[in-house]
Amino acid sequence: MLLEEYMNEVSSPVLLEHLFRREAGRMVAWLAGQLGSQHLQLAEDAVQEAMLRAAQSWAFHGVPEKPEGWLFRVARNFAISALRRSARMDGEALIATLEASGADFEALEIEENLRDEELRMIFLCCHPELSQESRVALSLKLVGGFGVGEIARVSLAEEATIAQRLVRAKRVIREKRLPLAMPPRIVLRERLDSVLEVIYLMFSGGYAAASGEELIRQDVCMEALRLGRLVAASSMGAPRVHALVALMALQAARLPARTDAAGDLVLLEEQDRALWDRKLIALGFSYFDRSIAGEEISEWHVQAAIASLYAAADEAIDWARILENYDHLWTMTRSPVVALNRAVAVMRVHGAAVALAELEQLAGSPVLRGYHLLPAVRGRMLAELGRMGEAAAAFETALLCDCSEPERRFLRRQLEKAAAA
Amino acid sequence: MAQYLLLLRDDGSAWTKMSPEEMQRTTERYMEWRNRPFVVGGQRLEVAGRVMAKKDSKIGVTDGPFSESREVLGGYFAIEAKDMAEAVALTMDNPHVDFGTIEIREVMPRPGMN
Repeated sequence: MLLEEYMNEVSSPVLLEHLFRREAGRMVAWLAGQLGSQHLQLAEDAVQEAMLRAAQSWAFHGVPEKPEGWLFRVARNFAISALRRSARMDGEALIATLEASGADFEALEIEENLRDEELRMIFLCCHPELSQESRVALSLKLVGGFGVGEIARVSLAEEATIAQRLVRAKRVIREKRLPLAMPPRIVLRERLDSVLEVIYLMFSGGYAAASGEELIRQDVCMEALRLGRLVAASSMGAPRVHALVALMALQAARLPARTDAAGDLVLLEEQDRALWDRKLIALGFSYFDRSIAGEEISEWHVQAAIASLYAAADEAIDWARILENYDHLWTMTRSPVVALNRAVAVMRVHGAAVALAELEQLAGSPVLRGYHLLPAVRGRMLAELGRMGEAAAAFETALLCDCSEPERRFLRRQLEKAAAA
Repeated sequence: MAQYLLLLRDDGSAWTKMSPEEMQRTTERYMEWRNRPFVVGGQRLEVAGRVMAKKDSKIGVTDGPFSESREVLGGYFAIEAKDMAEAVALTMDNPHVDFGTIEIREVMPRPGMN
């Protein structure tokens, strides 16, 4: 019977979670490493094509035995045939490089090389020649393997804006010939700081993003954590890198408790601590211990210390020590965002009246203009002081700013409470 | 039990817009469907092909089918069902309807088979 010919056994092992996304980042890093940063687009196209073929072929025929190796081979072959078609001057040389490289993709030794390729890619994506927004978008795209739509959702930006940002960043890489290489020693510190900043921006983007995108949000946080650990494990693993990883792990541990079943925000004090991820807390503390091994006390150290005080709290949070750390952080950074966070600790320790007086000094800060948390925190302080009319007005101001949907609902509830009182 | 071919048509555009994660999830949906007990076969076809047609006793061979605007046959599943109504019911949650169209055709039985 004719159709029996088609009755081939299709095995369908479930794909490794995030396999495509993980491999997308690794393949782009590897291919671009072979071809040079001038051919980033070709690397991306080849990877996209490999995944497309995988999706369409595996869907019908099952997953090959070594899916990662399969993807790498197909991506490389696509890049080779694209170079053949392009008749570029350097095409032959590039084809030769690709053909000579990684004959055996299944071999394990590629793992270590790949970590170096990824690291170089992170440094390229965080190059100071690129705008900070571009650095985050580019890292998510090229290293994290996220799609434009996904990046837009965690960045609370339009897809077209993100797409444009990516195009612009890649043009800068091409035109300024930014290399895929570890930075020279003399600028290493500065370049590493840029990387850490981008990783944390990536993390906080995921941490703050709108709900309904629960999965993508956690994925972005976990990707930032992974990159942090990648850098920490490399020769760049300075104490402040460990501190950043500690900070992210301790904050990520609280993700499962941050929203309730309805997707509404739950304040730290009201979170069910049984929901905190014990493994991440343990990971955070182990990185924290390593971070204080050296002489260095960075901003990340202090931030991690604050996160550790929250994470270690059994019942009562030690606000006095948290305030001490914010004082320290304020001296180090003079950042208005830090001052705003510090004001919350001041409220806990010295009361709302003192905190409000300090908060009013931030009113004219250009950095905080349009930032919903400034009026939101102000509203909470006013409400605590029983000045409900002013509190309601503050929450209304906060609602005029950009923020995520759960935050918006949270603010609306606060507004209703204040208005009803 | 009769057999039915599900002819899957699409213009390929849905796939190109997917992120890696979405591609993986879609692949998993197809894989899950492919492994259902009533599915007896299925293949994906390459996009590029040739179209042969005889004109004035001469066979012309042209590149095609072209997918720029039209949906082309991209693959098929073969399933078993007791009748067309059941074939349709079984196909209701086939992932392909999110990306293109599905045409269900009963396979004509061989003479003497029933």
